[in-house]
Amino acid sequence: MSDIVVFAGGSHPKLVEKICENLSIKPSQVKLGKFSNGETSIQIDETVREKDVYVIQSGCGHVNDNFIQLLILINACKTASANRVTAVMPYFCYSRQPDIPYTAKGAPLISKPVENYKFDNQPDAPIPASIITTHAPSSVATSSAEFNQTRPALIKYNSSRIPVVNENGNNSKYPTSSETHFNLSNAGYKLWVSQNGTLIADLLTTAGADHVITMDLHDPQFQGFFDIPVDNLYCKPLIQNYILHEIPNYLDCVIVSPDAGGAKRAAKIADALELSFAMIHKERRCQLTKGPPRASLSSNSADPVPSSTHVNNSNNKYVATTMLVGDVRDKVCVLVDDLVDTSYTITRAAKLLKDQGATKVIAIMTHGIFSGDALSRIKQSGIDKIVVTNTVPQELSLKFLGSDRMEVLDVSKVLGEAIRRIHNGESISMLFERGW
Amino acid sequence: MSSNSIKLLAGNSHPDLAEKIANRLGLNLAKIGVYQYSNRETSVTIGESIRDEDVYIIQTGTGQDEINDFLMELLIMIHACKTASARRITAVIPNFPYARQDKKDKSRAPITAKLIANLLQTAGCDHVITMDLHASQIQGFFHIPVDNLYAEPCVLNYIQNHTDFQNVLLVSPDAGGAKRVASLADKLDLNFALIHKERQRANEISRMVLVGDVAGKSCLLIDDMADTCGTLCKAAEVLLDKGAKEVIAIVTHGIFSGNAFERLQNSRLSKIVCTNTVPVSQSIDRLDQIDISPILAEAIRRLHNGESVSYLFTHAPV
Repeated sequence: MSDIVVFAGGSHPKLVEKICENLSIKPSQVKLGKFSNGETSIQIDETVREKDVYVIQSGCGHVNDNFIQLLILINACKTASANRVTAVMPYFCYSRQPDIPYTAKGAPLISKPVENYKFDNQPDAPIPASIITTHAPSSVATSSAEFNQTRPALIKYNSSRIPVVNENGNNSKYPTSSETHFNLSNAGYKLWVSQNGTLIADLLTTAGADHVITMDLHDPQFQGFFDIPVDNLYCKPLIQNYILHEIPNYLDCVIVSPDAGGAKRAAKIADALELSFAMIHKERRCQLTKGPPRASLSSNSADPVPSSTHVNNSNNKYVATTMLVGDVRDKVCVLVDDLVDTSYTITRAAKLLKDQGATKVIAIMTHGIFSGDALSRIKQSGIDKIVVTNTVPQELSLKFLGSDRMEVLDVSKVLGEAIRRIHNGESISMLFERGW
Repeated sequence: MSSNSIKLLAGNSHPDLAEKIANRLGLNLAKIGVYQYSNRETSVTIGESIRDEDVYIIQTGTGQDEINDFLMELLIMIHACKTASARRITAVIPNFPYARQDKKDKSRAPITAKLIANLLQTAGCDHVITMDLHASQIQGFFHIPVDNLYAEPCVLNYIQNHTDFQNVLLVSPDAGGAKRVASLADKLDLNFALIHKERQRANEISRMVLVGDVAGKSCLLIDDMADTCGTLCKAAEVLLDKGAKEVIAIVTHGIFSGNAFERLQNSRLSKIVCTNTVPVSQSIDRLDQIDISPILAEAIRRLHNGESVSYLFTHAPV
């Protein structure tokens, strides 16, 4: 391992230490910091000339800061004559393409503050933090006092994913509803939402990355956005091991996918372990308002069981139907997905499963982002245990939920082995199957 | 039917400036939403068609915690416009971020300015408008046209209208800015002096040597940016110690990071003047702002109409 250099980005130094332990090397010296004007500064203290460089940065925390830092690190290594630079991103930021729920008129929904979570409601979309208003500007003359007020308050992002509007729906700074704003003058135009996948891939390539290692990409298609090799490692072996060894009577449990998108991933695990499989499916319909009352089916039949909520938005009545496909009565349910972010999906799923008679709900997710009020939501939910990996730092969430409700699996061995194999030019396919 | 008209898009970094530019051009800012998800990823929604339009995205480099957020916003906005079939995308970046990371001054130091240039081009930027680049060589980092505008005409106006300009002396706080000051001095037909910094270590000003006579004069300290304001305050001390009557600092980019405000408050500068390329986060007395939105607006208008921009290098639009 002479020519290998591993740099730790600022996002997850602990994981890097573990990876380096597995490789029996030390992370190389790099000083990460900021200039006083906020610009990212880095200083590489070890030679990288003709070396095989690995820069490890997870897409968590202050995502944009960490991503730019990664780009600068890659670029600095490249300009310092590194032989090859590999970006190792355990959790790949911006890997989810936006999927904003719209009303019939096309505008995102607006949420109200929540005190007690009900787990049958819909996740709300964020409203734009700064919709550019079209009212007349005050005056051309400038004063420094004016400048103070023009900074949008919602740029303070630390609270929840969903910018909150006041109870009366009146927010003096921003339009009362994004609907009025977006759609008065241009009815019929569907909003163009940025799709960041290709951009992120291109930015990494531009910075000088020659190779990317990541884990459980949300969309497998994401690999196709790159013109450089991308090794997408899987957590599946780790998860299977966990189910085999840590869940008592695992043969009686049911693998559940919390949405249709993750069905394939969950079904693979169920197949490999020869377990039964269930799926939760969410439907949004708008014509059911005057239909027959929904039949409540007995829940130990294998028929789809709907549980519905009305979303009343101006004149359009929506009925969101959550269906459980499969039988979970008196079973231990293992919810499997690739990531948990706001936790709407899994807390809602847990409620449905418990309603349908599941004895225990265990959620196993690869990436635990836990943004906004996700952790308190999980704490109040019916999830008995949540298992995530350390692709993203989990110290704080572990503290919050306690070790009896949360467990963290270690991915450093898989990543370390992948780095070792890639450095030595060996195949990494066996990592896909066996894991570590 | 393509209209190919100007579409102004503004990021979150400086809504006030964007509004002024739009106002000046008699246009409305395009309806867009730039926001962050709770996991702090940036998302951009464009609320109107920009197909085949001439798009201008206004985003400046500012914010001690948010500078990278604003940068990503800009890149994502450019990319979103590109994929939404805009005809041409121009990034209007009054204060170019990372402009000072422009050379490999140490082993393995990153040339981040070059990286930013590459990132902008990768995102799909076709043209860049910026102002008073820290080093004009940065233009050479791009493979697309870069219009580096000068705040000088506006500064010139300010000096003529707000100071007793026949009796002042222009001073450059370091050797690097001598050219900028000399050009101003030429236009105003004034004398200028220069402060030479003897630097022992980076970010640490050791000794300042004044070249020129300032006794009894009021001095205008001219620089391209005021960041931590250490240099400016120190220079003011030197000038006043050498017998200057009063010292006014005029800078293009008022970044004022770290404890700059505290420093300015305690300094002996009688006034500090900056332009509004960057929003000023805190109001202090003795601070004056020059509005440069007319220059940017006029540059956008000229660029859109395919007219020459060089007129703006010497003339401030009225």
